[in-house]
Amino acid sequence: MSISRILIYGVLTLAALFYLLPLTVMLMTSLKDLDEIRSGTLLSLPQTLNFDAWGKAWGTACTGVSCEGLKGYFWNSVLIVVPAVVISTVLGALNGYVLTKWKFTGSNLFFGMLLIGTMIPFQVILLPMARTLGLLGLAGTTSGLVMVHIIYGLAFTTLFFRNYYVSIPNELVNAARIDGAGFWLIFRRIILPVSTPIIVVSIIWQFTQIWNDFLFGVVYSSGGDQPITVALNNLVNTSTGVKEYNVDMAAAIIAALPTLLVYVVAGKYFVRGLTAGAVKG
Amino acid sequence: MNASNAPRQSLGDYLPKLVVAPTFIAALVFIYGFILWNAWLSFSSSRMLPKYDWAGTIQYEKLFANDRWWVAAENLLIFGGLFIVICLALGLFLAIFLDQKIRAEGAIRTIYLYPMALSFIVTGTAWKWILNPELGVQRMVREMGFETFTFDWLVNTEMAIYTVVIAGVWQSSGFVMALCLAGLRGVDDNIIKAARVDGASMPLIYRKIIIPGLRPVFFSALIVLTHIAIKSFDLIIALTGGGPGFATDVPATFMYTYAFTRGQIGLGSAASMMMLMAVIAIIVPYLYSELREKNNEH
Amino acid sequence: MQALKINNVEKTFGKVKVLKGIDLAIEPGQFLILVGPSGCGKSTLLNMIAGLESVSNGSITIGERDVTHLDPKDRDIAMVFQSYALYPNMTVRENISFGLEIRKTPKQEKQAIVDKVSKMLQIEPLLDRKPKQLSGGQRQRVAMGRALARDPSIFLFDEPLSNLDAKLRVEMRSEIKELHQRVGTTIVYVTHDQIEAMTLGDVIAVMKDGEIQQFGSPQEIYDNPRNQFIAGFMGSPSMNFIPCQIEKVDGSMQIALESGGVQHLLPIKQNIAGLTSYAGKSVVLGIRPEQITQPGEDKADSALVSCAVEIIEPTGPDTLITVRINGVKTVCRIHPTAHCNVNELMPLQFDMSKTVFFDSDSEQRIY
Repeated sequence: MSISRILIYGVLTLAALFYLLPLTVMLMTSLKDLDEIRSGTLLSLPQTLNFDAWGKAWGTACTGVSCEGLKGYFWNSVLIVVPAVVISTVLGALNGYVLTKWKFTGSNLFFGMLLIGTMIPFQVILLPMARTLGLLGLAGTTSGLVMVHIIYGLAFTTLFFRNYYVSIPNELVNAARIDGAGFWLIFRRIILPVSTPIIVVSIIWQFTQIWNDFLFGVVYSSGGDQPITVALNNLVNTSTGVKEYNVDMAAAIIAALPTLLVYVVAGKYFVRGLTAGAVKG
Repeated sequence: MNASNAPRQSLGDYLPKLVVAPTFIAALVFIYGFILWNAWLSFSSSRMLPKYDWAGTIQYEKLFANDRWWVAAENLLIFGGLFIVICLALGLFLAIFLDQKIRAEGAIRTIYLYPMALSFIVTGTAWKWILNPELGVQRMVREMGFETFTFDWLVNTEMAIYTVVIAGVWQSSGFVMALCLAGLRGVDDNIIKAARVDGASMPLIYRKIIIPGLRPVFFSALIVLTHIAIKSFDLIIALTGGGPGFATDVPATFMYTYAFTRGQIGLGSAASMMMLMAVIAIIVPYLYSELREKNNEH
Repeated sequence: MQALKINNVEKTFGKVKVLKGIDLAIEPGQFLILVGPSGCGKSTLLNMIAGLESVSNGSITIGERDVTHLDPKDRDIAMVFQSYALYPNMTVRENISFGLEIRKTPKQEKQAIVDKVSKMLQIEPLLDRKPKQLSGGQRQRVAMGRALARDPSIFLFDEPLSNLDAKLRVEMRSEIKELHQRVGTTIVYVTHDQIEAMTLGDVIAVMKDGEIQQFGSPQEIYDNPRNQFIAGFMGSPSMNFIPCQIEKVDGSMQIALESGGVQHLLPIKQNIAGLTSYAGKSVVLGIRPEQITQPGEDKADSALVSCAVEIIEPTGPDTLITVRINGVKTVCRIHPTAHCNVNELMPLQFDMSKTVFFDSDSEQRIY
């Protein structure tokens, strides 16, 4: 191998270590007990594989007022994510379908309007939304949070489907219209069957965004209804007594597992979502 | 594909409009309506509770007279600037290296990108531990023999903001790498071949042909990174909590603190309007240049 | 009762008038071609006949029914698209029977129709395959099968052969012609290829800039073009346009042609009344390559001119030579055995019986 190849692989490996380091440290720390942590360093290997911290993080750690670990909040996140992902994906698909195959005057304007919606900092709607949720009786509930995630996820899912459906030839729809198919039949029998890739992209993107969200979670939920990110933050920042770094790390990994797993399994769809959003086209 | 090929409506076909109506209404109300509402709040005298009066610009005056706001604004510039520049540089750098027909490319790409799949809270928590002043990097380096090494940036008022840069770059540079790699691969092979026939060396080709060809990708990455930087909230809450004191405050955390924990709704909404202005200041020129390019292409 | 009647149909997109008052009518069983350059409006007109585009003004009648405001599915038409537009997730069988399924045709009948159609088009072995497993020609047949299954009163074809390679195109062309002869349904066929227009159509509508320039049988349009555009569009290699001076000599009209430095005066034997007002002026002579040949039998309306050969292009069945008349490049069709060399003079026989004349400014035909 030539010098330049060695150099290239060397640099790339160094970078890989940089990216892997935090995860490795987290994992190792979570498997140590507090004495080991205090006497060793970040990178010293755990002497035994001690899963106590994990048990604590899941079932007994204190997240603010209650001390029942992350398990309840994990479930909350699931309850929030599933309906929000499903509904925003379905609506996004229908929107994309209409915007590309059933254009009407103003449809481009509508799309532009949505697109701008993806760019605003959410801080500008925090207060009005808080008041609105209060008025609707949804303040501090998971349903309220689901609603918020659906509304602000619609712009992205619509973008994904619209950009994908643009490349389905219009002649296909025309042929179906001549055959006698109407709006819904065309969607069900012609468009949906070829939509699998983009549906996956949309689901993975939305799942990651919503599971990882903190801002909406911390503002619009309270107490036992909070998502796991809020609970994690509470857990780590609760300053009663001794800081249990191993529990903190275990908790962080638990919170990260779902999206990490999704990424490992279906990473290329995740990347497609990223690049589709950025190269808005 | 020309417009006349797209199926048009026969008379009275309301169904498609009906289907997008909910989204349309939602966007109208929950985005634009809310922005207007928020603007009103920023011109009101609201404190603990919203008050829909007209108080002129006192909230903005209060904002600009607030030292902590200026710290936050300055922090955004420092963090944002470094974050964007380093992400772009690192991303491009890694993309170029990865473009060299590497054997385990897929695996390496996966490794560089996985941080994007994590919540900023997780990232912040992890780096908070790594940069822990006593037990983190400082101790590790000391144990390796450098007895006087200090790395207490996390609790250092001057340096804390730079820890946010480190964590942010770790999380987002993979994304820039992915974009740049796609962009690099999108450069027309024939142009590169022509250049090689002309006798250009690879570094020269990279410099004069490929990298300039990445302009649109760069632009996209810039927009997205700027967006991430301005919105940064989760990362700072988890990494430093805004501290020490408010040394790592940014407009997003400032707004949250004042609006939701200090009963200053009017001030908070003014801060969020300033954030919106910042985003508009970036987006509008970008959209303008995009539209202009599209018109030039015709 | 006419199969299709288009009454003063107009189409406006925004501020642009894409179709400006189209009138045409065809009898049942006729094969109508809409031909013209890109942007002439032929595809838009076809889409309007299909009901995929709305009509801004005017009306469209199919048979006895005014279909102007009807949905495509109610117009009793079927369409074959340029890109075939086969449903990618369905098999060939399902593609063909999709329309029947929607109209709730009973299973037995559906089966019978699919069988009949696939036998006619020889696609029986393909029935269980998906479109992506088919070649271009096979996909085209399936698209036609789908249209045939509907048994409509009019078939619409939108440049169906444009995506095929040259050889396949010729094959499919004769298949379509054969199909028309067998099934006898009225066809409206859009193409930009004038060879397809000539070989397939019973009647041709040549379109340009949203208007019908001329409507008639292929031979009629070929021999009697109404203006220079039509004359140049139909026929390949295209008609030669030579600007020349009209002289009135002893009561008969002659044209002045110069070739190889020598002036010639050729008599115009046809009785073209309009030419008399052009005496002494310049007109455009239209003469097709096959009307300039090697010297042969002495024909009444022909004249011999010696021309300098510039380019020689053998095509196999004949040889195209380019000469210069009145300074303009002129293509002539000679027999492959006729001997000639580049930069040499060659006598050529001009058949003046079918020449046409156009006004130099308006490009309109002089009758």
